[in-house]
Amino acid sequence: MSRQLASFKLHLRAVATGLKYLFLPNRITVYYPEEYIELPEGYRGLIRYYPDRCIQCGLCAMICPASAMKMYRTKTDRKGRPGINYQRCIFCGFCVDICPQNALETTKVHDVAYKSLEEMILPPEKFSQEPISPAVAGGARKLKPVFDEERGLRHERV
Amino acid sequence: MDVAGVLPWVLRLLLSPQVFAPVVFPGLATALVVLLTVIWAERKIAARVQMRVGPLYVTRRLGGVLQMLADGTRYMFQEFIIPVTADRVPFLFAPILALTLAIIPFAFIPSAPGFSPIKSPYSLPAALAAISAIPLSVLLMGWASNNKFAIQGAVREAFMGLAYEAVVFISALSMGVLYGTLDLEEAVARQWLPGIVLNPVAAFTFFVGMVMSAGRLPFDIVEGEQEIVAGPFVEYSGIIFGIGMGLAYLKLYSLSLLYTLLFLSGWEPLVAPLYSVYPGIAGIFLFVKAYLLMLFVAFLRSVYGRYRLDQALRAGWRVFLPLSLISLLISVVVKVVGCV
Repeated sequence: MSRQLASFKLHLRAVATGLKYLFLPNRITVYYPEEYIELPEGYRGLIRYYPDRCIQCGLCAMICPASAMKMYRTKTDRKGRPGINYQRCIFCGFCVDICPQNALETTKVHDVAYKSLEEMILPPEKFSQEPISPAVAGGARKLKPVFDEERGLRHERV
Repeated sequence: MDVAGVLPWVLRLLLSPQVFAPVVFPGLATALVVLLTVIWAERKIAARVQMRVGPLYVTRRLGGVLQMLADGTRYMFQEFIIPVTADRVPFLFAPILALTLAIIPFAFIPSAPGFSPIKSPYSLPAALAAISAIPLSVLLMGWASNNKFAIQGAVREAFMGLAYEAVVFISALSMGVLYGTLDLEEAVARQWLPGIVLNPVAAFTFFVGMVMSAGRLPFDIVEGEQEIVAGPFVEYSGIIFGIGMGLAYLKLYSLSLLYTLLFLSGWEPLVAPLYSVYPGIAGIFLFVKAYLLMLFVAFLRSVYGRYRLDQALRAGWRVFLPLSLISLLISVVVKVVGCV
């Protein structure tokens, strides 16, 4: 019975903690499509491909642990060029690291919600275009995460 | 009967306690509004505690309060699929039975002194009996669905129903012993102190039994979204699924009305001016207390993790059933010592 009494005290403490957050909320999310958090330098977001630097070695497709990267071959171009499937990509950045020519680059765009599955597969032509964030294109306000002694994280307008 | 006579007759019918209390306030129409707002409030409360925003985009200025209406509309227009292997008649009949049983308690819940829909010396056990018959129809739902998950959910419902309805019944009975009546209206009249002060143990066990047997998140052991998809409701789609979802809240609403009547001194303090206008709406405090209680139960969702079936049953039989028996003893002692 003493165990139950001890756990009763813990229950009360849990409820008290919940009530504290209910009346003094500490929201850490942002209103995403209207506001967005500025991502730091070196963030591993969507990957961009620079076809002019590429030597078509195929290392990126070989290293990809999720088999998201694939070489697209044509009749005229037997070596192929990489395309990416964002249904599979885990944003590990191995392809970027292994590329001997720095033909792949991670960007700070990470809006990976799509309307159809087909849109998530990018052939080389699409892969070489600059990725666009729909939120930024829609005129979202930029926010900057700031460390706060009391709250933890706070978001400030830039 | 001429046309001019019909209107006052309809009005008189509508304003009679037998119709007004179960259908308008605090019954069906109010229950619908409560359902819509409490589900929204629950999501908002959980969001606040979990440092999020919660539903927002439907009527943004009001904080997304019409979200549930939008969801309900979506359910309404979804296709309703009857599986080939399901037992058609019980499959369709069971949710309707469940909803009917969830509404029946309103026929016994008085909203103001002298304003009981059915004035009966046994209104408390009658309301509880109707509530505790809901698991039977849920059992029927699971059986008729002819699905593994549904059957598992139905069996869980049977386990949970047995364990926690017993707790609810015994704690309610102990209040009946304390007040010397099983009539809800009389019970409120005989509370010289709120029942929660007279017998706090019964108040606690009734509360736990109410939360557990209403089977709402995170005590949705029956539905078990993570383990058995949606339990007895797995084969249901469209508006019937919406009914299944609303069922838990309807059950909670009628149980929290009963809780308010038994433990929180019901409609006291009575609003005298309202009572003189029309007694049906004088029970506003009964509603406010029950609503706040529901909000507290909704808040518990954000505090607790999920219980396993065996944990919940062990707590039910080993802790709460003995506690409710102790509460019965306390009631007898208080009654015999003669405080009441």
